[in-house]
Amino acid sequence: MKVLVIIPAYNEEENIEAVIDNLISNYSEYDYVIINDGSKDKTSEICHGHGYNIVDLPVNLGLAGAFQTGLKYADLNGYDYAVQLDADGQHNPKYISDMLKKIQENNDDIVIASRFETEKKPWSMRMLGSRLISGAIKLTTGKHLTDPTSGMRMYNRKMIHEFAANINYGPEPDTVSFLIKQGAKVESVQVTMDERTAGESYLNLSRSMIYMVRMIISIVLINNFRKR
Amino acid sequence: MSIVLRILLILFSFITMISMIKKIRSSKVQIEYSIFWILFSVGIIVIAVFPQIVTELAELIGVQSPVNMIFLIIIFILIVRLFQLTVQISQLEYKLKELVQKIAILSSDKNNETKKNPRE
Repeated sequence: MKVLVIIPAYNEEENIEAVIDNLISNYSEYDYVIINDGSKDKTSEICHGHGYNIVDLPVNLGLAGAFQTGLKYADLNGYDYAVQLDADGQHNPKYISDMLKKIQENNDDIVIASRFETEKKPWSMRMLGSRLISGAIKLTTGKHLTDPTSGMRMYNRKMIHEFAANINYGPEPDTVSFLIKQGAKVESVQVTMDERTAGESYLNLSRSMIYMVRMIISIVLINNFRKR
Repeated sequence: MSIVLRILLILFSFITMISMIKKIRSSKVQIEYSIFWILFSVGIIVIAVFPQIVTELAELIGVQSPVNMIFLIIIFILIVRLFQLTVQISQLEYKLKELVQKIAILSSDKNNETKKNPRE
């Protein structure tokens, strides 16, 4: 059984070394691939210098395009499972084994690493967005996802192939919601996430607003008309 | 605002929305790009259903008739969108150029030779 850890990286020179060294020394049972999304800093040089397994995108594609590159890599190389791990260090690879256990036990299509499966979700501005998306998914699919915006998700072989080949399959809650509607089995496992150790988060207030509007319209309206 | 105009606005907004959704169904458009058209159509429908919004706005700005206000709003939104699209096309062209150049250099014979004898 082959597992691939996909690490999309955009300008992560401060974090990438720690994340990959941890993977190599403590989790050598998993293969990994870094997808450098046209970084302008030294991310690529650092990775090549250490001999890490890296795919350099010649131009910036954005997270969806970068992650899809990783899934195409997984699809071409016959991996059974693929999991997204952020390069900023907020996802801890120790939970991959839990996710793997879950996905194999229930024969799930997608397993999400959720911060709030057993823990309580706090009432903050950030979590308001998460609640709205959870609510929209519950409304349209009947399935309650505790942490739909978590980036750490594991996909089985069928999903790897489907995500690799299609348009409108970004690694976002609306795609997950669409797949649940179409009969995919999606479950969650409880994890704890670390705050990012260095660098700046991509999401500021206006970007978060645009993201929310896009997700809600996509989940509530567009997903009803899409065909698989 | 005449009732005929209001009905026409609603009708064309629905046609716009349905056409966009059809494009998504046939995998021709990315969802990101359809969001503008859906919000735009919903906005026009809201204006057609509640014309008081435009009437009051027209009075406030000093536009003679509410219909002109609607034209002004639509033209403004479309110009903003056109501006964004110009920027996007320019970026796309730049990315395409980068890609073509990189692929051409990578597949040239000279580069394949240096690959066999690494610099170090």
